[in-house]
Amino acid sequence: MDIQNQQSYWIAGKEEGRRLESRGLEERIQQAVSEGHHFLKVKAYGQHGIGGRLWRAGAEPVYLEIHGSPGQRVGSMGFPNTRIEVMGPASDDVGWLNAGAEIILHGHATNGVANAMAQGKIYVAGNVGARAMTMTKHNPHFDPPELWALGSMGDYFAEFMAGGIAVVCGYDTQDPDNILGYRPCVGMVGGKIFFRGPHKGFSHVDAKLVSIEDQDWEWLVKNLRVFLEKIHRLSILGQLSNREQWQLLVARGPHEKASKPRRSMSAFRQEVWDKELGTGGLIGDLTALDRTPIPVITTGDLRRFVPVWENRKFVPPCEASCPTGIPVHERWRLIREGRVDEAVDMALAYTPFPATVCGYLCANLCMQACTRQRANMVAVDVKQLGKASLDAKLPELPALAGHRIGIIGGGPAGISVAWQLRQQGHEAVIFDMEKTLGGKLTSAIPKTRIPEAILNAELERVRKTLPHVHLHQRLTADDLKELKADYDFVVIAVGANKPRILPVPGKERMIPSIDFLRQSRQDSAKVGKRVVIIGAGNVGCDVASEAHRMGAEDITMIDVQEPASFGKEREDAEAIGAKFRWPVFTKAVTEEGVELATGELIPAGTVIISIGDQPDLDFLPETVTTERGFIVVNDMFQTTDPQIFAIGDTVRLGLLTDAIGAGRKAARAINDMLAGKQPRVDTRQMIDYSRIKLEYFDPRSMGFGDIEECADQCASCGACRDCGVCVSICPQGAISKHEKGSEDFEMVADPDRCIGCGFCAGACPCGIWNLVVNEPLA
Amino acid sequence: MSSNGRIAPSTLSVKDLPWQIHWNKDKCTLCGHCTAVCPVHAIELGVYRKRVVETSVGLKEAPSNVYQVYHGIRQKTDPAYACVGCAMCNLVCPNDCIMPFRSDEADKLKYHINRGGQPRRRGGRRNVPGGILDQIKFIRISMLTDPALDAGRHEFELRTLLGRVLPPEEDLRLLNEEGWAPPVREIYPLIIGGMSFGAISPNMWEGLQMGVTYLNEELGMPVRIGTGEGGCPPRLLRSRFLKYVILQIASGYFGWDEIIRDIPEMKEDPCAIEIKYGQGAKPGDGGLLMWHKVDKLIAAIRGVPSGVSLPSPPTHQTKYSIEESVAKMIQAMYMAWGFRVPVYPKISGTTTAVAVLNNLSRNPYAAALAIDGEDGGTGAAYNVSMNHMGHPIASNIRDCYLNLVKLGKQNEIPLFAAGGVGKNGNLAANAAALIMLGASGIQVGKYIMQAAAGCLGSESDRCNICNIGLCPKGITSQDPRLYRRLDPELVAERIVDVFLSFDTELKKIMAPLGRSTSLPIGMSDAIGINDKAAAERLEIRYVV
Repeated sequence: MDIQNQQSYWIAGKEEGRRLESRGLEERIQQAVSEGHHFLKVKAYGQHGIGGRLWRAGAEPVYLEIHGSPGQRVGSMGFPNTRIEVMGPASDDVGWLNAGAEIILHGHATNGVANAMAQGKIYVAGNVGARAMTMTKHNPHFDPPELWALGSMGDYFAEFMAGGIAVVCGYDTQDPDNILGYRPCVGMVGGKIFFRGPHKGFSHVDAKLVSIEDQDWEWLVKNLRVFLEKIHRLSILGQLSNREQWQLLVARGPHEKASKPRRSMSAFRQEVWDKELGTGGLIGDLTALDRTPIPVITTGDLRRFVPVWENRKFVPPCEASCPTGIPVHERWRLIREGRVDEAVDMALAYTPFPATVCGYLCANLCMQACTRQRANMVAVDVKQLGKASLDAKLPELPALAGHRIGIIGGGPAGISVAWQLRQQGHEAVIFDMEKTLGGKLTSAIPKTRIPEAILNAELERVRKTLPHVHLHQRLTADDLKELKADYDFVVIAVGANKPRILPVPGKERMIPSIDFLRQSRQDSAKVGKRVVIIGAGNVGCDVASEAHRMGAEDITMIDVQEPASFGKEREDAEAIGAKFRWPVFTKAVTEEGVELATGELIPAGTVIISIGDQPDLDFLPETVTTERGFIVVNDMFQTTDPQIFAIGDTVRLGLLTDAIGAGRKAARAINDMLAGKQPRVDTRQMIDYSRIKLEYFDPRSMGFGDIEECADQCASCGACRDCGVCVSICPQGAISKHEKGSEDFEMVADPDRCIGCGFCAGACPCGIWNLVVNEPLA
Repeated sequence: MSSNGRIAPSTLSVKDLPWQIHWNKDKCTLCGHCTAVCPVHAIELGVYRKRVVETSVGLKEAPSNVYQVYHGIRQKTDPAYACVGCAMCNLVCPNDCIMPFRSDEADKLKYHINRGGQPRRRGGRRNVPGGILDQIKFIRISMLTDPALDAGRHEFELRTLLGRVLPPEEDLRLLNEEGWAPPVREIYPLIIGGMSFGAISPNMWEGLQMGVTYLNEELGMPVRIGTGEGGCPPRLLRSRFLKYVILQIASGYFGWDEIIRDIPEMKEDPCAIEIKYGQGAKPGDGGLLMWHKVDKLIAAIRGVPSGVSLPSPPTHQTKYSIEESVAKMIQAMYMAWGFRVPVYPKISGTTTAVAVLNNLSRNPYAAALAIDGEDGGTGAAYNVSMNHMGHPIASNIRDCYLNLVKLGKQNEIPLFAAGGVGKNGNLAANAAALIMLGASGIQVGKYIMQAAAGCLGSESDRCNICNIGLCPKGITSQDPRLYRRLDPELVAERIVDVFLSFDTELKKIMAPLGRSTSLPIGMSDAIGINDKAAAERLEIRYVV
């Protein structure tokens, strides 16, 4: 059907000299169409929206020819039945929301051409303004919309274009250097753009250039002819039909957009960063340290912490608290290893009285300090081991090397120092007023406290080993001078045998405890029925027990403060019914008994004083300093006279084990000095209790049947017991046992496997493994 | 503590600790990763004894005791080893069986971390949640009144000026007379604040610089970064990348001999010189880089012997007043680069900021004023300094800006704001709020640590152990075993991500205001707050 051959219907935009407003012209056009006029010629005077919405024609085509100056939105919401031809240029937004109309412009178009167009075609015979072909759609139910322009596009062309085809012929353009305008295709998600001529870039994020396939070219050539026919410029078809001159832009797909083209950081580092700065980057000139990335969990040098096997680095609490310094845990280890004899014999290297002291008389400070006590568990029973040591064999003594040491006093301290010195090959001669060696062991310790046979057996062992000079008179200062000349060193171990007496009226009535105990030991002491003991310490308790044994019935022990007595002595005194009273102060001792500062009288037939003893040091030369009646010594029991040592109660009142330990320490210093060496001091520290894991032991175990059981329950603080827990717990399997000779071994963590987690330290029952900061990297 | 151990005043239970380790015995494979990674040794392998009294039903047989020993992860309660909540244990756990939880109870540890009479020091942050910046809303949305802009489609020129901007007539006069005019840089308004080489690990520092350089050279964003006061690696000084760098001089003067000797070798001028008089992390207090952090590398860059502690006193020793500082230091720094490089001071947020600003406004050499508010800080400091000293940035920057308005110089001397910007993750919103309150640009440090390197520090006092060199992410440690966990390239990538996303967000705020080519500096009609007192104080609109 050739509608243009029909009779046209003329509508003027001006009536009676007055311009119709847009609404008036729209009403007239719609009226005409509904009356059956399908070929309209409109003379426009700037009215907007001409030619859209002509649905009243139904399926019939409508042709609209616009003369004059149309306003904005020509063909807006155009229907597929509509063809609009503007005989000159057009204003903004031609074909806005076009739903199918064909719109031909014979002049230029201003901004917004085809904005939001979904169907239809717009042919422009000139240039186009800004924001053309923006927000266009392609509804899959219909053909895509098309925008054809003979010239060029304005700025922001094809923004958010979501479908349709734009063709920019680049003929007689507004800007010959750029036919697509400034920043085209921003946000473009669909459709294609054929163009011919130069451009100044487009949004590469959103669009890309593709080659024109034959199918595209066929379409373009075919439709180019249509376009040129519509705008009456078929003559230039040949000029525009050079395939080489055309390019095609299409929208990138969503997945293509994600990969915005930019240089990778590693490429940037290589190609820009290191190139400008030099190899190694920012500080490559300052350090050779490897700075490449490492994992969080590392091995070898890269571990922040490393385990160390600190076997025997620390002293266990038992050894540390034993004044004699016996390594008790080592003895338990030997027993665990089935070497009971060695464990027993080992005692004699430390003390001449393992059975007497460790087994009976000692307060066993080792047990008080035992780690097990920290968790309310029963301490390992050292008394059992002590008693077993009666059978200890002394190793063969070394030959004498020529040095001689004179020891004054044959009590526990003197015997200890002589015992040690003899074992080191020195001649140690003991001078004592008594016929036999033993000191207070033989004179002042009640028989009830230790079986006579045990004490005698150990004393016999001592007597066989050590020479003894029986003095018949008290030593004088001149004697000492002689001793100093004859011996390399002199050790004073005379003990404290001078009783302290209270300076109160009737003091002559008091019996010194030392005298009483000596007599009671020989069963020759005499006591009244009522006895008062002044001083309620452990010696006082011994006195009470002995007084009871000798026939006393009513025993009162008084003290100026809470009595310091403890342990077996105290228990025994309480058991025989001794009454403890404190604080009370003695005013006088009378025939009736003890008169107190308050005036009260405690009746007594016998009053025994037991407030301590003092050494008798008349024979000391001036070179030896004393303080408050005791000899002043340094850490190794050397007096202010370097040739003279002093040990035991002459230095400070103490336990038997204190006296024995002092002997050991003095002997070691003397031995070192005789060898011309700086005397050794044990600098090892006690192990921290918290390193020991008692959770491995039974907390309900109440006692020990035999020494083997004791040995099993010893946690072996600070000394590896080779239990294998570390080997098993290590998550990396890094720990293994390495033999060191036939006797020794060590646990080793392989640095190439170890991650420094510290599990070995956490699990080790004995507290051997420790986790320490790794050495700094150079 | 053992069950029958003694208690001391500082004996704490797990319940007393702010961070409590929850460990699941059933899931644990005892791999050792958690204890190996824990930066503070808060956890260790523990030995446990489990007792079961086996009793037969009907009591037909005598009950018996059965003990079992098992191993598991134990949390230490000694305050010296208190968990810091970094959750590295969880990060490395293959079985998801361990995790620190924040206690539901008030923290008792804080009463005990002053051993030896030494008050708590920590790295990081203020530990105060909230803040005024998050409450500020952008209320002027262009609804047909201004050209509504599209953040995605329109082009934006997000630039600010660093340098003294002369009044136009003065500028013209100088142009005609060919006189000296102050140098001005056109830069991106978000600046990475000064964090020193030393406080920050080598890998982190390189990553930051690399990211900034990438933004400049690959993406055309003129982002600048401060050096902090630890000097600057000579290679950077002699590279073209120096123009992206703001060199800092502070009271320790570290590395300045290197910088001075490198001036003849410089291909480019630095962006600017920042004279640090104060910082937000510890307002009014100085710093101390502990001797054990001063390894050979740090020593080389700072120009000091290694293994000595490096103090930065709270004050510049020979500068007794702001007048003196302005006169001496600003001029001296200008001279060093032939008056081609802007020089400006940075101070802590303080009520005296206006006085400083007034002084600067009379000095044509003063290129800007940077104010570091109380809420920020990446430096190590005393807890008390960090939590209680300093001035919030919002009203401080506002007072300064309004003072410039009064002087008619609001376009002449730019103000740079810092301190808690983005502390709750809202970097662009906070930055925009400060810009509209009057800041020309924003310095940011803490946010960068968190976003670019995964710093674990938080307002709830998580981690915050930067000061002792144990940073589990390798950000603030000088120990290669820690800092090699950090890949500089990945840090640089994150810097790029942060700036690109910041850029988009800032556009999303600016577009509805109808601004695309100039920052809305001081555009306070665009912001409001639902707090009447704050609105009055800041002279902005009260909105509910």
